[in-house]
Amino acid sequence: MEKILTKKSFSKWVKKLESYKIYAPVKNDDLWNYEIIDIPESIQPDYPNTVLSPKKIIFPQREIFLEFKASNEEGLEVKEILPEERPAIIFGVRPCDARALTLTDNVFKGDFEDPYYWKRRNQTILIGLTCNIPPSFDCFCLSVGGSPHSKDGLDILMTDLEDKYYIESLTKKGNQLINLAKDCFEEPKVMDKKDLEKIQANSEIQIKRQIKDIKKIPKKLKGMFDTPFWDKESLSCIQCGICTYLCPTCHCFDINDEVASSAPLKGKRVRTWDNCQFPDFTMHSSGHNPRPDKASRLRQRILHKFQYFVELYENFQCVGCGRCISKCPVGIDIIEVLDKVRDYGL
Amino acid sequence: MVKVEDIKKEAKRILKEGKVKYIIGYKKSTNGLMSVPAFIESPEDVENLIWDPTCVYNLTRFLVDEKRRKAREKNPDERPVGIVVKGCDSRAIIVLLQEKFINRENIYVLGISCETTGVLDEKKLLKKLNGKKAEKVEYDEKDNFIITTLDGKSKVPADEILAERCLECRANFPVINDILFGEKVDRKLDNRFKSLEKIESLSKEKRWGFWKEQLDKCIRCYACRSVCPMCYCDECVVDTINFAVTADTTAEEKAQRIKWVEKSPTTSENFVYHFVRAIHLAGRCIDCGECERVCPMDIPLRFLNKKMEKEAKELFDYDAGFDPDQPSLVSCFKDEDPEDFIR
Ligand code: SF4
Ligand code: SF4
Ligand code: SF4
Repeated sequence: MEKILTKKSFSKWVKKLESYKIYAPVKNDDLWNYEIIDIPESIQPDYPNTVLSPKKIIFPQREIFLEFKASNEEGLEVKEILPEERPAIIFGVRPCDARALTLTDNVFKGDFEDPYYWKRRNQTILIGLTCNIPPSFDCFCLSVGGSPHSKDGLDILMTDLEDKYYIESLTKKGNQLINLAKDCFEEPKVMDKKDLEKIQANSEIQIKRQIKDIKKIPKKLKGMFDTPFWDKESLSCIQCGICTYLCPTCHCFDINDEVASSAPLKGKRVRTWDNCQFPDFTMHSSGHNPRPDKASRLRQRILHKFQYFVELYENFQCVGCGRCISKCPVGIDIIEVLDKVRDYGL
Repeated sequence: MVKVEDIKKEAKRILKEGKVKYIIGYKKSTNGLMSVPAFIESPEDVENLIWDPTCVYNLTRFLVDEKRRKAREKNPDERPVGIVVKGCDSRAIIVLLQEKFINRENIYVLGISCETTGVLDEKKLLKKLNGKKAEKVEYDEKDNFIITTLDGKSKVPADEILAERCLECRANFPVINDILFGEKVDRKLDNRFKSLEKIESLSKEKRWGFWKEQLDKCIRCYACRSVCPMCYCDECVVDTINFAVTADTTAEEKAQRIKWVEKSPTTSENFVYHFVRAIHLAGRCIDCGECERVCPMDIPLRFLNKKMEKEAKELFDYDAGFDPDQPSLVSCFKDEDPEDFIR
């Protein structure tokens, strides 16, 4: 379904969506992030990339699985905690961040469906916004199969045409939202469609960074596991959690019991984000760690994204949002690393 | 004025003569204005070295890596490592020497004086340029930065985009060095704790509110810890790695390891993490400001450490990072110390 929504009608439409929990990019001090808002008067179309992607809503950094407590009758009383039942809408999703969710979907389904992830995923509607201007200097979505107007994973894509939005509804869920307030929308004219095409074509030209010949990389990486390349590339890495925690596709997690009291026993089983750059990642209980140093940790990050994931799901585990580049405290640039991989030994 | 050619000349010389095994310095990044750490091994690569206001990193952090790497090598190269330091960074070296974490003969210090300027705060610069991309930033020797963007050049008063630490800098020249670039320029500083005034003037409740709001943002990526040259512990209490065990650790022993902090980024756990870190840096932090610079959530961590610095000064007349022979703050007792519980 394609529609036109004038900027004036935008807040009228949003008012009709009251029953949903609504998230949109919000600026606090100088930091943009997705937060719950009451009335999104208008979405600012030129907000820079949010620090964290909507991953933090679908796959939160902390998820309580269950509560347990000692009980006389049963020994241990266990109560499952599922995410709250409440449909949600995320406004202003960048096309790359939406594509990222289609990638993490692969991981949370299969032999074991993750009820926590899917509960949130299924009750959340994603409304994207075309990046007329790239929200970061380091955007490279075009190189990894995305684009600044990609529709993958979105329910609705909005494109800013100055005084109005071009609305492309892509799923049933999207259509439903539009049908809730039919009178807010108009039919697109031929001119609007032309404007849309112009803006979307132009949005691609604005993407300045790219990885050339990326198709060669997975095969190349396969032969690079045991090379000194990783020692050299990781020299300046400080092994923080920024690149992976901020990555919209990274999905490693850890499960811990948080004990509130040991007698009587009481506590929660909690899932939190984990990441391959931390010293205790894949640490065995014997004390041995198969990834003992920063070279092997950087290698894990790159190989997971550009070899293992490709072998498993025929897609890079990277959507080109550029966060790991812009926010790396020592300027490690994944595009540069991959360029060097491609040319390694030539 | 510091000339990068002089630094390159010396770097080439010590590499050619085999005096150092490699040099840690600065080079241009691949994605924009800021520099990145460089590890220069051969005289040919010296050409990559740069020195400009984007050289923000405290490179002494990499001496920790060097020590670990060396410990793992069977026949380590015993030559020193060359390292480029600014005034603040040089004070980190003093603390590492004082704590006997490194030895003087393991390093060859190329000290650079910041003279009348300092380094950039990238976040302030971005804000100043309204999101526009800077291509180049130069110091005009008259308290201004000249910024080149695609739209041309503009002049910005230095103190508007200088790093906070530079505005309160007390050692704009390296206090330890094997060779010095630039002049020792005295800088007037009326109040070295000025930035704290605002937050200190808040009521207890307001201060709690401020810190709760700030620390609730923390995602516990530990970049602040990872970037810190003083956070060199092999095992940190906040990692589950402190459950680390050997092949001989029994199941009972493993079960008894105390988990000090949960991985969950909740208010209480975040506070524990940041308090532990602040306390462990008291009398050690030399205010290089790296923790605050790297924080992706813009948490003003420098206030915490600056406050500890002030406490150390006011209570014990203690200054970190000037004298490698002074005993460390938390492991010595002087007769003049205010508390007498220990007597
Ligand atoms: S953000 Fe940079 S320094 Fe931190 S772990 Fe990733 S690559 Fe290393
Ligand atoms: S704090 Fe001082 S020594 Fe350090 S960069 Fe700033 S001016 Fe230079
Ligand atoms: S760098 Fe910032 S977000 Fe990361 S652990 Fe430190 S305070 Fe928290």
